[in-house]
Amino acid sequence: MSDVALNVSEPVALKARLNEDWLAVVIGLLVFALALASVRGTDLLGWAVTTSVYTNLAQALNPFAKSYAWLGGGGSLLTTYAALLVLLSAGVVTLGADVRKFAMAFTAMFAIAYASWIVGSYAYIAAVTPAEQQKFGVAWSLKLTNEGGFVVALLSGLVIANFFPRLAGFLNEAIRPELYIKIAIVILGATVAVTAAGRLNLASSLLLRGAAAIVEAYLIYWAVIYYIARRWFGFSREWSVPLASGISICGVAAAIATGGAIRARPAVPILVSSLVVVFAVVEVLILPFLAQTFLWQEPLVAGAWIGLAIKTDGAAVAGGGITEALIMAKSAAEGIKYQPGWIIATTTTVKIFIDIFIGIWAFILGYIWTNRIDKGPDKARPAEIWQRFPKFILGFLLVFAVSLWLATGSTPEIAKALPAAAGEANIFRVIFFILTFFSIGVLSDFRKLWQQGFGKLAAVYVVSLFGFVIWVGLLISWLFFSGFKPPLAS
Amino acid sequence: MAPPDLKQEINAAAVEPLLPIEKKLIGFSLGLGLGLLVVLIAINHFVPIKL
Repeated sequence: MSDVALNVSEPVALKARLNEDWLAVVIGLLVFALALASVRGTDLLGWAVTTSVYTNLAQALNPFAKSYAWLGGGGSLLTTYAALLVLLSAGVVTLGADVRKFAMAFTAMFAIAYASWIVGSYAYIAAVTPAEQQKFGVAWSLKLTNEGGFVVALLSGLVIANFFPRLAGFLNEAIRPELYIKIAIVILGATVAVTAAGRLNLASSLLLRGAAAIVEAYLIYWAVIYYIARRWFGFSREWSVPLASGISICGVAAAIATGGAIRARPAVPILVSSLVVVFAVVEVLILPFLAQTFLWQEPLVAGAWIGLAIKTDGAAVAGGGITEALIMAKSAAEGIKYQPGWIIATTTTVKIFIDIFIGIWAFILGYIWTNRIDKGPDKARPAEIWQRFPKFILGFLLVFAVSLWLATGSTPEIAKALPAAAGEANIFRVIFFILTFFSIGVLSDFRKLWQQGFGKLAAVYVVSLFGFVIWVGLLISWLFFSGFKPPLAS
Repeated sequence: MAPPDLKQEINAAAVEPLLPIEKKLIGFSLGLGLGLLVVLIAINHFVPIKL
């Protein structure tokens, strides 16, 4: 299990978390580099499996590139599984994991998670427009788009966590949502850059507005939630700091970073992290659909709102993906076809901006606590800013910068070939999203959390989230993003 | 499962009064946050999103 852990007896291993960050950078960069080879005409990842909306299961799976068509759908699925198994097994060795256990757990996890994704692409679930329904010969559909498979994967994980605890225990070694989403975010840098390259003015405007997210999360949300936890619910300082950080900043990473900074007992931020994951599940199941219903005419507001309202990088960025699919589907049904990528890029920008300052905020709190509140020999040091900095962001920025340069500063041939290469890398981004959703579900054993005395902690979350975070996030998203829409698809 | 004392601690901990430094932290954060928000809204107004 990654730094999202339900076992509160486990220590918070800052070192392991940082290793997981670097591992995500290495794997993400490797996928990006292999995908980039296609720019020079060498297709190294074309065998990766893709899933189309279907009514005939035999036609659902295909290799990404036609040059690998000889593999067939089943062959590309097995190849993708084998490649990920080898890559991730080699990776988790560096985290000190039991490779044999990981391989067995990953095999089962991949099978269930990808099967969920395939189920989500069934036409009765995924077909959106009347034209699509007619094409597949279905009279009705849930209209979830094929990204509804994320929701199916999440629900599969939830069922396993709450009804099959022994299976959840068996899967435990491979349940690493933080690792999977960090890899996905590094890879996402290429797609965001390709999207931004087409409209650099709009992209730079979005970056400027990301600053609002920092102000909101760190200075407004945190202060109010800390006050609520301390004064309304009577939590101690040790509980209130990770709780406020988890609810206001970015979930698991912030709870652990600030908990460590104020020298809280390891069990405290771990328990708070579990709470954050459970609420992220609830939010992912609700907010994208609310965004589709009420904000489909303001796609960028919706993207920013998801980034501000859903805590944990995994749920937020993946929630942005679902929101984009749902809004684009609804817009398409109304005759408006947006360029893909802008809504999820907005969500990602908001989350990345918030993530960047975790280390600094943790140091500020650590400095105040160790010098003014719990004075002791163990003082906060400036070096902790770097130690607690989420390193996977460096991977995202590197992939983004290289892709942007290739799209705008290299030869026209390379710029033309880059979107296909980014698309190839994006196949793996989607697969890591699927693994993230499934893992988050498996971590959410509601009965176990209730037994751990979650009621009062959950009450703080409910009051803060539904009474404050969602609405202020919506207001700020509206103030900064309303009236501006993604470019139309040509 | 959490150690029993942790569950008990959550539900029956003695109230720690807010220290002056905590009040300062809350007040300063909110004040700075709202101030910066106003500045950003002004920037947003004068430098609108370019399509």
